Amino acid sequence: MENIKIEATTRSPEIDFDFGANKFLIKGESYPEDVATFYGLVIDQLEEHLSSLDTAEVSFEIELIYFNSSSAKVLMGLFDTLDEVAKAGNRVTITWTYDEGDDHMQETGEEFSEDLEHAQFRLKILET
Amino acid sequence: MLFVKELKVISDGKELLEKGAFVDTAAEEQFSTLLKSYEKLYRSEKRLVRLSDRNQEKLNSLAKSLDKKNTMLEGLSVKLSKYLSPQIYNSIFTGEQDVSLTTKRKKLTVFFSDLKNFTKTTEELQPEDLTGILNNYFSEMSTIALAHGATIDKFIGDAMMIFFGDPESKGVKEDASACVRMAVEMQRRMEDLQQSWRDSGMENPWEMRIGINTGYCNVGNFGSVDRMDYTIIGGEVNLSARLEGKSDPGGILMSYETYALVKDLITAEEQKPMTVKGIAREIRPFAVTNIYENLDDERRFIRRETEAMQLAVDLDKLTGEQRTKAIYELEGVLERMKGEA
Repeated sequence: MENIKIEATTRSPEIDFDFGANKFLIKGESYPEDVATFYGLVIDQLEEHLSSLDTAEVSFEIELIYFNSSSAKVLMGLFDTLDEVAKAGNRVTITWTYDEGDDHMQETGEEFSEDLEHAQFRLKILET
Repeated sequence: MLFVKELKVISDGKELLEKGAFVDTAAEEQFSTLLKSYEKLYRSEKRLVRLSDRNQEKLNSLAKSLDKKNTMLEGLSVKLSKYLSPQIYNSIFTGEQDVSLTTKRKKLTVFFSDLKNFTKTTEELQPEDLTGILNNYFSEMSTIALAHGATIDKFIGDAMMIFFGDPESKGVKEDASACVRMAVEMQRRMEDLQQSWRDSGMENPWEMRIGINTGYCNVGNFGSVDRMDYTIIGGEVNLSARLEGKSDPGGILMSYETYALVKDLITAEEQKPMTVKGIAREIRPFAVTNIYENLDDERRFIRRETEAMQLAVDLDKLTGEQRTKAIYELEGVLERMKGEA
């Protein structure tokens, strides 16, 4: 599958999906005008790729400064998918990176990880 | 509290499963799956509501800090505006003027003034007193300048550099006329100030020398990218300064170029021609002797002096009871004078 690389804009995050290395990154701010259009295709491709994996090592990095409720819905769906992929026998690590002192983003990450049963979740402070 | 109903649905559902209320196993499994999905949905909703509240809170606090910053910037810009001519300040703040090192050539009327007796006074007065009198003088002159639409370029010691025609212009002729009207009004106001300086014990009240010239100048931002001045340069600017140097104290000396534009407005006496470095043509200076317009109507300080009479009235200070009393006194004098005539 061809890698996906989308530059960040003021409203949408950078997307860097390296399917060969199983390394995935979402970074920046996320409040696109149309969340379904922005995330729809990339998430479809991601899910298609992840479903084909077997005992793979998957690294997913999320480094967001701000995101709206629609983006949150997309992220929660993504966490479900990643947990299922982990349940299927893959080693999945989700890294939630937030700015030092951004309690809001830390709490949100912790809450989002509550439902994870199989995937590993780690919080990482971005030192400024 | 917020999710009481949802929690009740979940707890009732769990109770049903625990009681083994289902006869049909397939139905029980379906119900269990449905209940789990409902629990997940409940958790998602809870998170989304919390996220939305946090975002709102963050935005509110950002908006507040932005408001605070805006207020601070507004205050700062008001303070900074005092260091700039209002027209230039406005043209920068409205975006009409670029804050970059660019200049243009424009026909302007340039005004220079300085004070006779200033250096002498600096030796006689305490620095604090000198500052007070000088600031008072500049404030009075600036008020007149701004009322005539002038762009105040700078104050240099006791000197003032003012120009007309940029950033706003009413046309070369009208700009020159406004400048001359302003100069006449300044000299008239100087007479009032001299009186009050004399009254407050100043031995040699200052006298103002004025030079005016009209010609093409380079106007714009000069300096470095880090520190620039919106000003004018050129031979015609230097000529205004030279005319000012040749002007009589209390007088207004202008070049022929300005005189030609305002000759319907004033009477003037031609002076001896002069040459100025950087200007190829011979300069014909004209000293203003009178102005046809009656600027006296607009004056707030009236002073009349003859051998047998001295009258000084400050209309701004004459209010209420003071005014009634003054009218009564003057009418009394008039009656008596008419009776003796």
